[in-house]
Amino acid sequence: MTDMLLHKAWLETRWRFLIGLALLAILACGAVLEYPATARLLPLAGALPAGNGIVGRAIREAIETQRDYRGFIWYQWVRQNFTQTWTLFAVLLGSGGFLGSTGTLFTMSLPASRTRVLGVRAGAGLAELFVLALVPSLLIPLLSPAVGESYPVVTAIVHALCMFVAGAAFFSFAVLMSTTFADIWRPALISCAVAVGIGLIETVVHEAAPYGIYALMDGESYFRTGSLPWAGLIVSAAVSASLLYVASLNFAQQDF
Amino acid sequence: MTDPLAIETTALRKTYESIEALRGLDLRVPAGSIFGFLGKNGAGKTTTIKLLLGLARPTGGEARVLGLNAADLAANVAIRQRAAFVSEDKDLVDYMTVDEIVRFTASFFPRWRRDLEEKYRSKFDLRGGQRVKTLSRGARSKLALALALCRGAELLLLDEPTSGLDPAAAEEVLQSLVTHAAGEEQTIFFSSHQLAEVDQIADHIAIVDRGRTAIGGSLDDLRAAFRRIQVVFDGDAPDATFRTAGVQRIHRTGRILTVLASTGADAIVGEARALDPVSIDVTRVTLKEIFLEVTHD
Repeated sequence: MTDMLLHKAWLETRWRFLIGLALLAILACGAVLEYPATARLLPLAGALPAGNGIVGRAIREAIETQRDYRGFIWYQWVRQNFTQTWTLFAVLLGSGGFLGSTGTLFTMSLPASRTRVLGVRAGAGLAELFVLALVPSLLIPLLSPAVGESYPVVTAIVHALCMFVAGAAFFSFAVLMSTTFADIWRPALISCAVAVGIGLIETVVHEAAPYGIYALMDGESYFRTGSLPWAGLIVSAAVSASLLYVASLNFAQQDF
Repeated sequence: MTDPLAIETTALRKTYESIEALRGLDLRVPAGSIFGFLGKNGAGKTTTIKLLLGLARPTGGEARVLGLNAADLAANVAIRQRAAFVSEDKDLVDYMTVDEIVRFTASFFPRWRRDLEEKYRSKFDLRGGQRVKTLSRGARSKLALALALCRGAELLLLDEPTSGLDPAAAEEVLQSLVTHAAGEEQTIFFSSHQLAEVDQIADHIAIVDRGRTAIGGSLDDLRAAFRRIQVVFDGDAPDATFRTAGVQRIHRTGRILTVLASTGADAIVGEARALDPVSIDVTRVTLKEIFLEVTHD
């Protein structure tokens, strides 16, 4: 029964997953292949006056961070493309599938508890998200020799794990929204709005950034100090689990 | 089946925001019966079936299915293990193929009947590789029915099983149901507003009107008990009342007083004679007439 529910969840989400995987893989490859050009430009950029405002500070930080290959990958790939795209697909994979979609009434009339239906769907989504975090990350060390560089596999895995553990909260929030709204769009749009809102707060309130979810997702403390943000990751995982628990309670209360 | 009743509801109520879908439904469905659940659109038939399966929660009252409380989360999983359901719009998983949805459904039922699966696949001409969303309405209904019949369920809950089907397809579905019921020890509970099909296959009925049971029981008993008593007078019919229990409705049109009685026709005739009529005529009534009378606004 569980394996068939998993199969159904796969059929429902496979295109979102495969598109996400392809997109992230392309972005990962692009990040690596872009490095030689950026490496040539960086010394020139260092000579430009950057100013003292927020933008100037950001430019200086970008230049400083990308002085070596590891810094470039973290700044261009992990912190930007990977985090943004992965978050988008976390929201998309968590959206829909519980109320109002095709086969909902049929599935709910089968002898499976709502907790199981939600648990299997959430489990399938999390497994897909884990692959979306791990596979593109592993492409970085795999492709790095093509540009004459090397990138530690362990570093790639650590960033993938940070992305998955911290960012799963966005997935869980989308699941919660999907047990409230019958269509796929409202959960997706509300969750995207929440993700963008948090991102804006972390950008504007500079003091909050080190403790924010995006700093956890991009593993900034690991990149800068080599230590994992255990407390933050545990809190994120707990928030994610709590959101899924509330989603299961909400789902149990729904009428079909 | 040890419980003499497959379904029993007591004062079952369901309110959706401000809409009262059920207002105290009392229902007793004998085990092994083919039970027609009749009512106009919006009478509460679909809501009742959803409450019986635990797909919606009652606002009040109780529903027991195969001896289990349908409102209890653990019990309603057990109910769905022993009962099969076909929804009114034949909701299925559209993106699966016929083979996939058969495999998917079978995985939930340890007593899945492979013999019946083969039989209905062949009888209904269901091709394994075809996507569910590409099936015609008739084929979709047949697939939904086949998926229900193969579960080895004790109870079939069918919501408008022939809605949207052409007469030939509807007849095929009904005949399949009757044949299946004859061969298996199952209770079939089906909602409908198609009186002819209820008359054709049901042995028990209930008529639900505005969320309440208007009448219910064995169809033969109802047919035997219900009478139309037409009393004709010389002048205008009097505005009469009857003391005898069983008077369902009284119509007065010009010289004619028409009484619909669910029981006690003889006693009502005796009372009518006291009104000094020209003639009294007692006739049997059809299910359609009973339905129209008890659901009359």
